[in-house]
Amino acid sequence: MRRPGIPAPSRETLLAALLIVEGAVFSVTGHGFASLDNVLGLARLACEGGLLALALAPVVLAGGIDLSLGSLLGLSSVVLGLLWRDAGWPWPWAAAGAVACGALGGLVNAVAVARLRANPLIVTLGTLSLFRGLAEALTRGVDTVTGFPAAFLSLGQGALAGGVPVQAPLLAAALAGSWLLVHRHRCGREWRAIGFSAEGALHAGVPVGRRRLQAHLLAGVAAGVAAVVQVSRVGQAKADAGTGMELLAVTAVVLGGTHLSGGQGSIAGTFLGFAVLAVLRNGLQLSDQPAELAGILTGVVLLGVLVLGARRGGQRG
Amino acid sequence: MSTDLRRARPVALVLGVLAVILAVTAPGFFSRAQLAPFLAGTAPVLVVACGMAVLMVTREVDVSVGSQFALCSVLLGLLLGEGCPPALGIPAAVAAGALLGAVNGALAAGLRLPGLVVTLGTLAIGREALRWAREGRFVQDLPPSVQWLGLGQSLGQWALALAALAVATAVSLGLQGLMAGRWVHAAGSDPAAAATVGVPVRRVTFGAFTLLGALTGLAAALNVARFTDVDPKTGAGLEMQVIAAALIGGVSIEGGRGGILGVSLGVLLLAALSPALVFLGIPPEWERVLQGAIVLASVAGGTRRAPGRPTP
Repeated sequence: MRRPGIPAPSRETLLAALLIVEGAVFSVTGHGFASLDNVLGLARLACEGGLLALALAPVVLAGGIDLSLGSLLGLSSVVLGLLWRDAGWPWPWAAAGAVACGALGGLVNAVAVARLRANPLIVTLGTLSLFRGLAEALTRGVDTVTGFPAAFLSLGQGALAGGVPVQAPLLAAALAGSWLLVHRHRCGREWRAIGFSAEGALHAGVPVGRRRLQAHLLAGVAAGVAAVVQVSRVGQAKADAGTGMELLAVTAVVLGGTHLSGGQGSIAGTFLGFAVLAVLRNGLQLSDQPAELAGILTGVVLLGVLVLGARRGGQRG
Repeated sequence: MSTDLRRARPVALVLGVLAVILAVTAPGFFSRAQLAPFLAGTAPVLVVACGMAVLMVTREVDVSVGSQFALCSVLLGLLLGEGCPPALGIPAAVAAGALLGAVNGALAAGLRLPGLVVTLGTLAIGREALRWAREGRFVQDLPPSVQWLGLGQSLGQWALALAALAVATAVSLGLQGLMAGRWVHAAGSDPAAAATVGVPVRRVTFGAFTLLGALTGLAAALNVARFTDVDPKTGAGLEMQVIAAALIGGVSIEGGRGGILGVSLGVLLLAALSPALVFLGIPPEWERVLQGAIVLASVAGGTRRAPGRPTP
């Protein structure tokens, strides 16, 4: 029902407008929202979620889904803590172990989806339980690792020149890397092709299995890196780390205009979608509103954008 | 019935093996004192799983049942606390559940939005709204008339189990015998073809969401009857439990296939894990590991049975 001559605004434009509205409202209502400190602090707090959302985008673009990333973050956190405290590894090795754990978890999803050709929703629903269960079993559900060395904690709590948190360049690098991969590399083109039509892509010579494998593996590595960032920021490794993060990541990706059936979407949209959610949470907090309101509005924004999108052609055919 | 039986065979086998292991190592598990509370605790999950199975056969999924369950439980608790008789309160909980399901159905089927995303949104809204309203406070001091449906504990436990069994039987018969049941299968196995032969596909999907909501409301009532107070966090993770039970019970996530017999056995298998671990002396933290492993194993089994089929 699009009128000729007036192009519908793209999802990115819509989200950027929403971000500006949020900024304007919270500058008035939030205490210290518009300060430089808050903007930098936002990058610190939002880094882990941003990493997961950016890594989830290629998976969804290729027509898949990964619901296990929050659990994998929790498992990787626990692995980091136990390698450092109980196995006595120096912290850089333990951090590398956490990233390796993320990669291994991603590989489990990848093999089940790409090699066994199982439905990604079921597979990652299963690994969601599996990873969280392993994290709980390793710590017997109550054990929390704390007392990390200062050098490790400075990764998550320290600042570079000018008060820029360490997370900011990491997030920027993840953004640039995923943008290059999705929009400037054949990987991205082939993920998109698989999302549109897996069979068509296969006949066109796209290595469908390998590309799906890579997308899930990358998501796993991102979960491992996010675990390192989170443990160094909060200073403790717990089995319940990252609970609900999979929801946040999926919401950000869908909000960013990526179709769940695959094929369409952009990294800019995903990042803007994530930024809208992160600013919403931060702004409401600084405006002395309860955290629950942020959760409710996250759901409302998701449904609202979906409904608006449906009126402009729909999410699926 | 024969395809239903065949599809339930793998899960029946695993459940049988678990039962034999338990019978040998921990015969106490099958005593009446253990069995009755186990079945009563499983009853609400079974009722929700039946609704989820019907919805999944239409090729949709609802991840918001956990927050629907909590909303209905708290509503029922508050109504009973205000002096509302259970005979009025329980239908009210069912109606509230149906309404919540209808909202999901209207968004998913009416606007053709993906049900997974819609219900992710309503899951967050429902759960956070409840947290805001209750601030973690339990609904306490429920009247004794609702405790075990007023039948006393030993009889009440069996009554809850029988109620769930009756619901499962009714849904199973409806899915196989009624025209609506055939429509559910048709809409899920090939929506375009079903629409061509006159199946109102979107209304069927809407109906399945609403039925799931109503059954979730009923399950909340069965659960409220087991306790003296209502935890506003009740039902967290219920969606994963029932979807997993449906999957290992042979329901296809791609729609069109599934029977209640397998789903019931799947619910029993997942519910038996926790007490089985206790009886076998394994730390209870391993329950979720096993749950995940069982879901993955059912996936691997499912792909082996259908080789060569390209999954789009």
